[in-house]
Amino acid sequence: MTHKLSRRDLLKMAATSAAAATAGLMPTIRIFAAPPRQDSVTLRFQENADSYGAVVEAFKAKFPNINIEFVEVSGVDHAEVASKILAQLAAGQPVDIGYAATEATQLYAGEGLALPLTQRALDDKDELAEYFADVSPTLVEGMMYEGDLYQLPRDFNAAHIYFNKTLLAEAGLEVPSEEWTKDDFTEYARALTGLGENKDSFGFGWTNRLWGSWTPWFFVNDTNLLTEERAPGGEAIWSTFYADEPLAEGRGGGWRWPTPQANNPSMVEALEYVVSLTTEGLTPAVEIGGGSTLDGFFVSNKLGMTIAGGFWGGALVNAGMEKGSFDVQFWPRWKSQRHQFGTGGAWILNGSGSEDAAWEFVKFNTATDVMLMIPWMASASTTPVRRSMNTAEYWGQTGIENWNVFYDALDKRSDTGPIPAPVFSIEMTNIYTRFTSLATSGELAPKDALDGMQAELEALYARNG
Amino acid sequence: MSSKVISQPGVYRRNPVARWLAADTMAGIKRQRMLLGYLFIAPTIIGLLVFVIGPMLGSFGLSFYKWNIFRPPEFIGLDNFERLAGDTRVFVSFRNTFILVVMTVVMLESLALALALAVYRMANKAFATFLRTAYFLPVLLSGASVAVTLGYLFNKDFGVINYYLGFLGIDNIPWLTSSDVVLFTIALTTVWRNLGFTFIIYLGGLSSMPGEVLEAAEVDGATGWRKFYRVILPLLSPTILFAVVTDVIKMLQFFDEPFIMTRGGPGDSSRTVVMMMYESGFGNLDFGYGSAIALLLFAVIMIVTGIQFYLSRRWVFYG
Repeated sequence: MTHKLSRRDLLKMAATSAAAATAGLMPTIRIFAAPPRQDSVTLRFQENADSYGAVVEAFKAKFPNINIEFVEVSGVDHAEVASKILAQLAAGQPVDIGYAATEATQLYAGEGLALPLTQRALDDKDELAEYFADVSPTLVEGMMYEGDLYQLPRDFNAAHIYFNKTLLAEAGLEVPSEEWTKDDFTEYARALTGLGENKDSFGFGWTNRLWGSWTPWFFVNDTNLLTEERAPGGEAIWSTFYADEPLAEGRGGGWRWPTPQANNPSMVEALEYVVSLTTEGLTPAVEIGGGSTLDGFFVSNKLGMTIAGGFWGGALVNAGMEKGSFDVQFWPRWKSQRHQFGTGGAWILNGSGSEDAAWEFVKFNTATDVMLMIPWMASASTTPVRRSMNTAEYWGQTGIENWNVFYDALDKRSDTGPIPAPVFSIEMTNIYTRFTSLATSGELAPKDALDGMQAELEALYARNG
Repeated sequence: MSSKVISQPGVYRRNPVARWLAADTMAGIKRQRMLLGYLFIAPTIIGLLVFVIGPMLGSFGLSFYKWNIFRPPEFIGLDNFERLAGDTRVFVSFRNTFILVVMTVVMLESLALALALAVYRMANKAFATFLRTAYFLPVLLSGASVAVTLGYLFNKDFGVINYYLGFLGIDNIPWLTSSDVVLFTIALTTVWRNLGFTFIIYLGGLSSMPGEVLEAAEVDGATGWRKFYRVILPLLSPTILFAVVTDVIKMLQFFDEPFIMTRGGPGDSSRTVVMMMYESGFGNLDFGYGSAIALLLFAVIMIVTGIQFYLSRRWVFYG
């Protein structure tokens, strides 16, 4: 008797084998997926051991039954990190505790991924009172969505102008005063162009993304990419933690950005100004990305001014720049001097089953001594949200003289607001950077680029209800 | 021929399937050999099912849904395909991809073949070995690291390439920030990284050419260009077909270089189909639409490959 297996038989056999193999694995999967013993929990934490090794060790000493597993996620900007977190979620590998910057706060909150923390914060108000008293309400409001708090901010960065003091000296200039204007800025950019050993420096450099970018220019031109309003709610947080804080007055339950207004006259004016810096040769070609290209140029005295927050101070020193060879100042005044910021903090996965343990870890991370266990936090490579950490000693590591402007952007300027980042901020950012690049490369006039941006933003809003 | 059970250990007698498989007959032996064969290819088949066919079917199914990870998928029929038909950005991305494919494949095949011929004819074998290694080294680098590094070199204002071109009196070229040249820049980067692989394929093809045919051609007076065109090229045609088909398929899936070097910009001028697919899925959280783009790309790759094989009948010599 002969028995030939046809291709169809073969496929059947393979499918059956795959099913059998899967079935055979099921008990194993169940074992791994079984809920941990009540006295032992493992949390998947979106960080790496280099940054958080010491924090986790300290936490484990206090909570030996809670294990932390690192899940490292990197990206050129926060939007890309969020994309990767969502990719892991799609693959069934979500993190229990994530870190989200403003770019993704409302995305995670609005889609139900992040756990609302308001009630937990209120329940532990005695434990957290000192933390909130040390943190600007502007930052806390930036971590709220539709009345609930979703993250406890860890660090923030407002957009300031960094000055290369070597080029300033060559141009015979000083770091300007706090009240400097856009016209002063233009003169500085001109004076700082064409200096250096090879006479090839540029006055000002920036990269195309949401935070930083040309966003500060439309903020000081008294407008925004999207209209702004405050969501109702949040009273419990304000009355519990900020009852005597004048800066907390009038705050709500987080920001809303109800409609796009990319092509309003002030936006067009701001983009025209930024593009004019390129056409005049004061700004190098603008690229999309995280700004790492500019680091090298600034360090090697080829860039007079650029946009950055406190994070750049430590980074420049680490890159080899001499302490005190750079300084910062507020963004120059145009129609206003409204600053933009982005902040970030840990969020907890909603429905993970380990929310209580995760909350303990999140709270643990709010202590000053714990924050200083993070090497890049200790070396002034970001701006801590705690006012008390922003000291001459802390920023002295970088040699920045005007370090006070970092926190003064919050404490002295009550109009400082977050970058616009609604639930669909990733797609919005893609539209924003795409049309910005068309304007900065000269492919489209600023007005035409912003008309195109507005049309796509309107379509985006329509798709998302 | 009828099966006849000659001898069986007691344990097999009780299990009819085991008895059938282990039957010590000609048919039984054939069955055992066949089973062994299938066992050997089982890992590949299972791998294909789990990692290729399964996701393909999943992607096909997903293209009829609206799904953003957070909420349950919603069946929307052919809406994603209707949207695809009217999405000019997708067609721009296809146009960019085709331009990149043509530029890279033409440069890759011609350069790789020229280099392979030069190295093949080289008398100094040690130097030839060095060149083989040197040309292949970039293949070992990750696309991301190459893109980042060459991104610095191609920087308009501070890049090394414009610096040296400046000595020739050439103004700074906006390699990555002008839609006129950005695709060419990306093609150059890709060619630099992939040249070694295609080069090795051609070198392998040249080395396996029958020496007696080449000698006979020389005896008959075929030298130089005539020998290359009339003898070497036909003998090498199956290798060329393989290299072209694999390079075209690979380049139709362009992602690393444009994603890292330009993010698809300026505007959409360097955005490729795979970037559109990725951004639709993981950027815009529209996995259904991303799947629809993936299906369209799959169909295009199938058609392009089919055309290549059809046309190959006219120029590939298997003699």
